[in-house]
Amino acid sequence: MSQHSQNNDKPNRSFGEQGGLSDSRLVEVHSHLARDKEEPSEGFSILPIVIVFIFCGFGFWAGVYLTRNSGGFSASSFDLDAPKLAADNGPKAFEPDVAKGEKLFIQQCAACHQATGLGVPGAFPPLAGSPWPVGNEERVIKIVLAGLAGEIEVNGQKYVGNMPNIGAGLKDAQVANIVSYVRSAWGNKGEPVMDTKVAEVRKAIGGRGQYSPKEILDQHPLESK
Amino acid sequence: MMPVRLFFASALGWLIISSVLGLIVSLKLQLPSFMAGCEWFTYGRLQVLQQNAFTYGWIANAIFGVNLWIMSALARFEFKDSWLAVCGWLGWNLALTFGLGAILLGHLNGYSLLQMPKEVAPALFISFLFAALWPAVAFVRRPTGHVFVSQWYIIGASFVFPVAFGITQLLVVWYPTSGVLQALIHSWFIQNIQLLWIGASAISAMYYFISKESGRTISAYYLATVGFWTYFLFAGWTAPASLLGAPIPVWIQSVGVITSLMMLVPVIILGINFFGTLSYNRGFAGAWNNTTLRFVLVGMVSFAISSALNIIFSTRSLNAIVRFTDFTVGQQQLVNYGFVSMVLFGAAYYILPRVTGAFWPSAKLVHLHFWSSALGGLGLALHLLICGYPTGQTGLVSYYIPVIIFVLLQLVGHAAFAINSFVMLLASARNPNDNTHA
Repeated sequence: MSQHSQNNDKPNRSFGEQGGLSDSRLVEVHSHLARDKEEPSEGFSILPIVIVFIFCGFGFWAGVYLTRNSGGFSASSFDLDAPKLAADNGPKAFEPDVAKGEKLFIQQCAACHQATGLGVPGAFPPLAGSPWPVGNEERVIKIVLAGLAGEIEVNGQKYVGNMPNIGAGLKDAQVANIVSYVRSAWGNKGEPVMDTKVAEVRKAIGGRGQYSPKEILDQHPLESK
Repeated sequence: MMPVRLFFASALGWLIISSVLGLIVSLKLQLPSFMAGCEWFTYGRLQVLQQNAFTYGWIANAIFGVNLWIMSALARFEFKDSWLAVCGWLGWNLALTFGLGAILLGHLNGYSLLQMPKEVAPALFISFLFAALWPAVAFVRRPTGHVFVSQWYIIGASFVFPVAFGITQLLVVWYPTSGVLQALIHSWFIQNIQLLWIGASAISAMYYFISKESGRTISAYYLATVGFWTYFLFAGWTAPASLLGAPIPVWIQSVGVITSLMMLVPVIILGINFFGTLSYNRGFAGAWNNTTLRFVLVGMVSFAISSALNIIFSTRSLNAIVRFTDFTVGQQQLVNYGFVSMVLFGAAYYILPRVTGAFWPSAKLVHLHFWSSALGGLGLALHLLICGYPTGQTGLVSYYIPVIIFVLLQLVGHAAFAINSFVMLLASARNPNDNTHA
């Protein structure tokens, strides 16, 4: 404003256009505009749009590639080809896996024997602290593979069991994992079981029906504690 | 400008030394018993010596000189305290001489470009601050508000070296971290040095000389902004692509692969700008007839090829073939010689006459230098690339007789360049008044 008041010798000023320009200033601005260079007319006006699309394509590919080949951003994932290589080298040596065994136990067995392994008093016998699953491994493998039906006494309690042949529908390794879990969980102390042992027992018993407790105890009597 | 002359003089000296060493090393590849009697001249030491003399001697000194010149010219900067830069020059070259002497005596670390004894590193670091941070001062004191493309790259490059060098020296040499991390940090260092310090300085020189000598402004300034930021964003991440298959988490390797691909963005933008600036009005013919731009053109071609190869061979399947072969040596040769050194030669042909106020004594030597360096450099790179690939497929060993010929050709070119330059530098040294325009 102070600048404007100093310029009040200009005749055409009005208070209505405080931001406006004097004639001389107007001419000056126009001459600036006239001197301004032409808009660039080279072949570059359309190019950047194509380029933006191409660059976005790179970015898209990069995102997909990183997602597929990140190994889950895990600090312990070192080799993309690790699972493939394992398959190429043939079946690995079996190691009883108690964690897998526990998962299978929850799915297959816990409905009756309970996740605690304590069973249901009067209905389903316990596995925890029971002499049946520990000791000779063939006894428990046979029961899992073929099932068990009849009157059974566990730790002084009587049960009338009817256990289906759950193991018949499972692989040797799965049965071995379940049995290894049962033999080591809840304070049970039994050696882990190998899948080859399961295969051997499966072959030996063939496609038979459920055992009775008496039959299985004749073959494999309970070990004294 | 005194410092620029000193930087170029020492760069020339190291270039000759590293060329002679390169010739001996390549002879040893063919004849392992050559000079095998003396412990000092075993392959392991001479090869390391050659690599360090080339990188920290020739390339670094030349980059100090070129960056200082370009920055002073663009920022209209009058360099008053040039004795500080001279101190930096002295410190850098003394530390380097000491470090290379130690390597010759057998005191070396195992990581490439960090082989000099660790006590040398602080001296190099401090000397760098004195020698090479002047572009930043010139930038801060520039009178014009406008920033040229070359200035971005020089400023970026000037700060990359101290950061990358300092961090890597601390974490790999002085206080080593756990094993795998060392390899990762070291690959990051190499990538930073190659792409963001050396490469960015050479790109800045290309932007400057193409625009200056063709008399045209950069054709797409706004795209160049994107190119600069994407270059600095992605280049530092590409390092793990050189460690594919190493026991580092797989996602880090994949990040290296995708950032190598994303390097296409800045490379395409550089291509558009250089091509767009030169293709106007018979610019390529003009560039071929201009000594500086003729070198820069070879640099451009090498840069394009090496960028394409880096991107293609960062894919896992192809990388598995060429890794640990001469192919990767060829890739480095293409970058360090075909691209960076050719651009620096071109820059020297522009800058030296202007700092000395003299003309090049012999045009024939200039031609000899161009053709020997272009044929020797590109020939060597192509030979290593072509012979390295089948090595990776079949395990067959490369042929090294062409390597000797190409390295000899380079040495001839460098000798021609050095004779021409030293005659000019000595003439100006005899003339005490510094009657130059810088």
